[in-house]
Amino acid sequence: MSDRKSETDSDLEFDSQPAELVENFFRHESARMVATLTRTFGVHRMQLIEDCIQTALVEAMRSWRHGVPKNPAGWVHRVAKNRVLDALRRDATHQKALAFAHLDQQSTDRMVDESFEESQIEDSLLRMIFVCCHPLLDPGSQVAITLKTLCGFSIDEIASGLLLPSETVKKRVQRARKKLAEADISTDLPRDDELHSRVSAVHNVLYLMFNEGYSASGGESVVRDDICEEATRLCYLLCHSPFARPDSKALLALHVFHAARLGGRMDDSGSSVLLEDQDRSLWDQRLIAIAKHWLQLSRTNTPSRFHFEAAIAQEHCVAESFDATDWTVIVRCYDRLIDLYDSPVYRLNRAIAIAHNGQPQQALEQLLSLKSGGQLESYQLLDCVLGRINEMCGNIDVAIQHYESFLASSIAPHQRRLVEARLASFDRR
Amino acid sequence: MARYMFLYRESPEQLQHQPSPEEMQQVMQLWTNWMQQGAQAGWLIDGGDALKPESRSVDASLEVSDTATIEAKEVVGGYSLIEAASLEEAIEIAKGSPMPHSGGSVEVRLVGH
Repeated sequence: MSDRKSETDSDLEFDSQPAELVENFFRHESARMVATLTRTFGVHRMQLIEDCIQTALVEAMRSWRHGVPKNPAGWVHRVAKNRVLDALRRDATHQKALAFAHLDQQSTDRMVDESFEESQIEDSLLRMIFVCCHPLLDPGSQVAITLKTLCGFSIDEIASGLLLPSETVKKRVQRARKKLAEADISTDLPRDDELHSRVSAVHNVLYLMFNEGYSASGGESVVRDDICEEATRLCYLLCHSPFARPDSKALLALHVFHAARLGGRMDDSGSSVLLEDQDRSLWDQRLIAIAKHWLQLSRTNTPSRFHFEAAIAQEHCVAESFDATDWTVIVRCYDRLIDLYDSPVYRLNRAIAIAHNGQPQQALEQLLSLKSGGQLESYQLLDCVLGRINEMCGNIDVAIQHYESFLASSIAPHQRRLVEARLASFDRR
Repeated sequence: MARYMFLYRESPEQLQHQPSPEEMQQVMQLWTNWMQQGAQAGWLIDGGDALKPESRSVDASLEVSDTATIEAKEVVGGYSLIEAASLEEAIEIAKGSPMPHSGGSVEVRLVGH
């Protein structure tokens, strides 16, 4: 034990000038280490591994107050490895397994070092994505454990990002870990026969994760923008792997188009700005170019819903102004989407596009029939949309009623401010 | 100018607290900024180092005891060496350190005589 400890100490090459740690160092290293160590020691030891990593990171934080070492990642990898090996030395099952495989502690030690090589880490992360998005877990648990394990968020941060109670998130993560351990899920990459469904499962989690972060973003918690960023980062990792499909790339394009517009969604007072009122010069042209590139790369004869969603996002991003938006193209994309994957939210969004395309009356009829079908009961923004469309039809009194009933429901403060401002503008007329 | 040693004391609550990676990043940023400020202003002589919690005491009868396990109380978690014109000035510098803002304390000691 003491020999390995001294090895750690000899690595303490501190600079005379304290170095800066890269952004999100602790969060990302945590994820990289969980992925690497889980791949080496198995999914059933994930809890132990995560505890050891937490200890190692706290140790790093305490030591580095006085100066950051030259190779912070190497430093913390070594400490985490030693913590796990120390814990496993006390684990009889592990010792038996080692003896059975004719391995000793030293060879395990070497094995871990090799797995920490840069080229291996990306591969381990990819394996871990497939573990966290395993079809054995329900979508809520998949998202929770992905955020915990692969993004390094704490339970409280996830809870505030997803607008869920901490207790709920904690239970989901624990249940997911337990299920994965009990089923003894391996970190092997998916086999050919299950590849399609496993990649689709990953897509769904990343899509859900992004949407959760995006719809809640701009509120009081900064974590929400980070959640979007993480979904994009993981999608990027998938797109650079041999498992990337055309729809993976379309999903990445969709994320990046949305991310490009994050800057214009809030005004200085923190209230939402409608698409039509947004200052388009605040949109990130560099991101728009990247997203267009990925959408190009995603071309296929069998486009997915991500392709059409990305195409719609692209249409908004490239329009010079709100009035210059090509709503005909957008309505057509929604038609294709609904053919592929019928959902009330797509129908609602198509109605909005139809209204902007010069047919508000037709849009209103569609919305009312959707509403009477009871399909949008859980859709919070319905009254807000009905208000807007009625306004476009010239039914101001009905519009006001809808806005008022929207305000009476429990909504985010930034949405409340927006609608209150809208109502106030009627008073002035 | 006189030299002062800063002893960073961590409270039991601080030692118990399990920060999230994001929190750790923020704490690190505060320390890096503060140390850089000291290096630029010239009051930082030596950033010092962390002190690990494991410790032994040798008493007058050469008896060795494990001081870390005695009880959960404040622990000196590290030290730095600074330079200041007076104790008051050293205290002002200590107030600016991230330690008191994260639940711990800084003991300021004049070095030498």
